[in-house]
Amino acid sequence: MNGVLEGGEHLERELVPEPVAKPAVGSLLLHAGLAGGLVLYGIIGGFIHHNFWGSPGAGSAIQVSLVSSALPLPADRPPNENVLSTDTPSNAPAPPTPKAKQAIDETAIPILGKQKKQQAQTAPKTPQHQPVQDNRAQYGEQAGSSMARATSQNGSVGPTSVSDGDFGNRFGWYVDGINRKMATSWYKPEVDPHTPRGARVFLIFTINRGGAPSDVRIDRSSGSPTLDRSCQRGVQRVDSFGNLPPLYTQSTLKVSYYCEY
Amino acid sequence: MKAISRTLFSTLLILASLAATTLRAQDWVHTGTNMGNDRIRLAAADFKPVGADPQTPTLKAAFDATLYADLANAGIFDLVSKSMIPQAAPGAPQEINLAQWTAAPSNAAMVAFGALSAANGRLVVYGWLFDAHNTANPQVLSKQYNEDASQDMARTVAHRFADEIILRLGGGINGIAETKIYFVSSRTGSKEIWEMDYDGQNQHAVTHLGSISLSPRVSPDNSRIAFASLGRDGWAVRMYSLELGRIVSFPAGTAGGSNQSPAWSSDGTKIAFSSSRSGDPEIWVADSNGGNLRRITSFKGPDVSPTWNPRSNAQLAWVSGRTGLPQIYTMDQDGANVQRMTDGGYAISPSWAPNGQLLTFSWNRKYGPGAPGGQDIYVMDIASKRWLQLTHEAGSNDFPSWAPDNRHIVFERAIGGRSQIWTMLSDGTEQHQLTQTGSNFMPNWSWK
Repeated sequence: MNGVLEGGEHLERELVPEPVAKPAVGSLLLHAGLAGGLVLYGIIGGFIHHNFWGSPGAGSAIQVSLVSSALPLPADRPPNENVLSTDTPSNAPAPPTPKAKQAIDETAIPILGKQKKQQAQTAPKTPQHQPVQDNRAQYGEQAGSSMARATSQNGSVGPTSVSDGDFGNRFGWYVDGINRKMATSWYKPEVDPHTPRGARVFLIFTINRGGAPSDVRIDRSSGSPTLDRSCQRGVQRVDSFGNLPPLYTQSTLKVSYYCEY
Repeated sequence: MKAISRTLFSTLLILASLAATTLRAQDWVHTGTNMGNDRIRLAAADFKPVGADPQTPTLKAAFDATLYADLANAGIFDLVSKSMIPQAAPGAPQEINLAQWTAAPSNAAMVAFGALSAANGRLVVYGWLFDAHNTANPQVLSKQYNEDASQDMARTVAHRFADEIILRLGGGINGIAETKIYFVSSRTGSKEIWEMDYDGQNQHAVTHLGSISLSPRVSPDNSRIAFASLGRDGWAVRMYSLELGRIVSFPAGTAGGSNQSPAWSSDGTKIAFSSSRSGDPEIWVADSNGGNLRRITSFKGPDVSPTWNPRSNAQLAWVSGRTGLPQIYTMDQDGANVQRMTDGGYAISPSWAPNGQLLTFSWNRKYGPGAPGGQDIYVMDIASKRWLQLTHEAGSNDFPSWAPDNRHIVFERAIGGRSQIWTMLSDGTEQHQLTQTGSNFMPNWSWK
């Protein structure tokens, strides 16, 4: 009996609901308070932050890419480590002097019985293509030689099929000037980065006596519309390449120029 | 069959090209990128003294030093060090041995040389520029000068010869060796407008008003200077004639309020300035004779420091404080099409590049107490809004102004409360201090 009574008491105790409402409300209030505090801190903190650091966006989302390609100055060169000579580097040093050949002693008596070593017969070397020493454009070539290149290489060297006159030989400095000017006026970042390296677009334009370019047109497309357009824009950006040399008697100069990505 | 058609094709090609050869009346050049984009390796020989006039050595020294400095400052040459050039000074084309100059250590691609003589009070200079690699036709330039024999004239002739070389080799852009820089100096006690050569030589006062004069801007024809001056009625934009040597009338700049920061259009017909005659400082535009005055901005907050797009004269850049801290904006000359250029910080003193593509201004990108960085000079490509910082951790830099060659910038640098005028190339290199005495600020580079 006692056991039954104890069991009934226990059941009663089990059935009485625990007082959870109060702690739950307290917990809710506490969390709401914490969240509210965080939001308030964010707002006030952000407000103070902006006051201290200028207007929103300062120093974060801005593009840090350079404008230097637009500057009308030659590209920077690496610093020179030769402290003894000059602040600015020189061109490549002179090539080494060829090794002196061992002199053959004509008075030496040949040893009998000893087979003279047959010198390896060197086939007459075919003339190797020598890279051009100075970094100049290949201008003013003879018509014949450039024709051969154009036909044998299926025109892969570009529109250098004909070049009459010797403007490049006489006024190499002016051609260098065109290169320098174009180097600063052609903006490579305008080209789609998917363009394959080494892609070339060939342009043709005319320079008048005052140095202004005109009739800019694509002679051979690179296959990349962005490269074609950026190169064309590069020429159009140039006001003047400088007056044509006074000793040059023609009124205009035709230029074939390529931009290589 | 194939072989025949190939032969036929190449024959046709040859024939076509031959026909083209005969038809063409002009020369062709073929060139491309990555070819000779480096600086030109130029050697400036000491000029050969001719005659025994006692003036010759001093004039020659001034000439040689000026020519060398001008070419070194041009920003387009890799100038051969004086210690590396051949000892013999050639005085005429037949005296030069180009092989000596192209050989190491000078490795020159171009050589400037000539002869100088002083006789009977006249300075005679013959100058040549030779392409050292072109032995068949080396001459690029030949010049002769005959002027009064004086130190100043020797320097002027050197400037002219340097400018000729820069014009010829620099892609048709005029040199700046004969340009002037106008600035404000307080070295006489009051803040007056001063003038100096581009290399800092020949500094002298232009105005003697005994008041406070600020922000000088010279007209494109170098005949007048517009500047802000404190008078009885407050700040007024006034005009000083360099030809007459006195103040001339500019009625638009005096009527009420505070009138400051004038700016010439490149055709010399219009002046923009800021005026608070209507309450807030706003941008106003007047004809250069002071008539036809009109307001082009009406924003809350100050609008100051206008500068014209010298290429088109159809746009202005200016500083507006509508969002709190000053920022650089651009707009059309009728006030339309407003665009914000800087995205934050504290940006002031814009100057529009002669080619119309670039802006230079003074910018403190992280403005505020304890913020890193300082007031530095920046260049911005207007089309892409990309920028380049030119000065780094060297004083407080302000009031940049473009040189007419688009390659140089003059600016003010304050270190320890004392400001001086500096120049640099537009990529931030080759910084040189031009002024030493007193406090000098707000420089403006002349147009030619």
